[in-house]
Amino acid sequence: MRRVLAIARNTVREVVRERMVLVLALFGVALVAASQVFSPLAMGEGRKVVTDFGLAGATVLATMLAIFLGSSLLHKEVDRRTIYAVMSKPIRRSDFLLGKFAGLWATTALLLVGMTGIVLAVVTVVYQETPWVVLGALLLTLVELAVVTAIVVLFSSFTTPALTAFFTVATVVAGNFAEDLHYFGGQGGSAIVAGVTEGAYWLLPHLALFNARGLVAHGIAVEPERMAFAVAYGALYAAAALIAAGAIFERREFK
Amino acid sequence: MKQRHGSIANARLGNDPRGGLREITPLSILALDSLTKVYRDPMTLKPFTAVDGVTLSLTRGETFGLLGPNGAGKTTAIKMILGLANPTSGQVLLDGRDPRDPEARRRLGYLPENPCFYDHLTALEYLDFVGELFGIERGARKSRAGTLLERLGLGAHVKKPLRKFSKGMTQRLGLAQALLNQPTLLVLDEPMSGLDPIGRAEVKHLLREERAAGTTVLLSSHVLAETEAICDRVGIMKGGRLIEVGSVPGLLSSGVREWEVAVERLPERLAAAFRGEGHRVDAVGSRWIVRVTEGDALQDLLGRMNREGVFVHAVEPRRQTLEEHFMRALAGDGKVAS
Repeated sequence: MRRVLAIARNTVREVVRERMVLVLALFGVALVAASQVFSPLAMGEGRKVVTDFGLAGATVLATMLAIFLGSSLLHKEVDRRTIYAVMSKPIRRSDFLLGKFAGLWATTALLLVGMTGIVLAVVTVVYQETPWVVLGALLLTLVELAVVTAIVVLFSSFTTPALTAFFTVATVVAGNFAEDLHYFGGQGGSAIVAGVTEGAYWLLPHLALFNARGLVAHGIAVEPERMAFAVAYGALYAAAALIAAGAIFERREFK
Repeated sequence: MKQRHGSIANARLGNDPRGGLREITPLSILALDSLTKVYRDPMTLKPFTAVDGVTLSLTRGETFGLLGPNGAGKTTAIKMILGLANPTSGQVLLDGRDPRDPEARRRLGYLPENPCFYDHLTALEYLDFVGELFGIERGARKSRAGTLLERLGLGAHVKKPLRKFSKGMTQRLGLAQALLNQPTLLVLDEPMSGLDPIGRAEVKHLLREERAAGTTVLLSSHVLAETEAICDRVGIMKGGRLIEVGSVPGLLSSGVREWEVAVERLPERLAAAFRGEGHRVDAVGSRWIVRVTEGDALQDLLGRMNREGVFVHAVEPRRQTLEEHFMRALAGDGKVAS
């Protein structure tokens, strides 16, 4: 565990020292500020708009960061040969991968927590009311980020950064519509299409499960049962992706 | 993972059936047994044998030099020793363990060829990170990192980001990270690369200190003169095969190029006779130097000098250098066991 934490800490340091994080953080702050500027146009629904717009922006930014930094994280190690010195130390390859995952997740989670904090602060100051229900949505989005980060790590364990980013974006987009895909696949009448969509339904991450932003924007708290199920599902999905990534990475040759 | 003492530990000296040299020592810290690596071209799937049946063992405390031209298979062999690449056949044992077992690498130090480290860290941060990977306690790793950086001449650069390090400084940091865990086996891939003459002298000194402390060193190098000065034994690789292995004096003793016979007052008649027989005769100050290339001719020449009452001042064999031996071995693909 100590070695996993060392790799994770180093990954956080690497990502934080990249200017891209700063740019994204500034972009996040600007987004929240913009939602405040446009909220008067929402005709009395300003609090809802700021919360919804702010949380959605924070989620998109954190997800983008996870995908675009994560897709090159492993490749960079091999390409620049920094991995040779690290893997000659008494560390398991799966621990290295787990450390990379934990570091990237921690960084994106920090960004998400920071931006959600800004949203909460803005709503509290402007509307004299703190929407604590937002924390439920935050927890679900943190689990969603873990799933997305694990998928990035899985793809990056065997393919190039560009393909990793492409496959992950495709999986995230399809994962948000997994239920719809399943429904429409079953409506077409074709057994092949139904079979493919059925397979995709079970393979794809059901990311809609983690989206409670609209709900909390209306001031409705996430139900504990839904929260527990989503957290358990997300943890299992991320673990499965990481186990698959570890199995692939274990066989990988460093030329 | 349990310690394994398979065929390597039980093997004896002999010839590898595929032509490579076989040299086994039961108490070896590193043992390679018929180690082979075949890569396949991803497009044509045509196989390429990078390492071909290498069998070798290193005893504790020795410094072993792995020599060979580019593409000989040295770095691939080293990667298999470290568990970075998997053998196609054969096996590697690090102190009796498979190198893919992390425990096997606990007392291993490794310097990669043209090392590259995280450029977002400083030298001190990097060594602290490496110390954590080795499981060294915070106090010990801070103290060892400071000592090593001083020892390698980086004491003034501990807080400098690695992106600002020169090639020589990176090489020194590479040695520092390889020594941080006080290794029993040190694997150095081209340790002299990127170093100026002072740096090379310092590394030679450091390697001698490590040898004196009982560390086993495996180094691959192109710098043959320095390898000759540092190593107890060398192995020469060509085309993936270990074509020759032996102690440096042992390899070079079989290669006396000529003998120089220094004499006082050589009669002109005798000098002319020697020249006529094909020997080189030169006057050097008040002395004469006669150079003979054959052992039988030397005996004959010394006998005649004795009969003529010529005072023989000295007889010195001139041996080939490791570089000359290396070039001959590569040209002839000879297998000279020693």
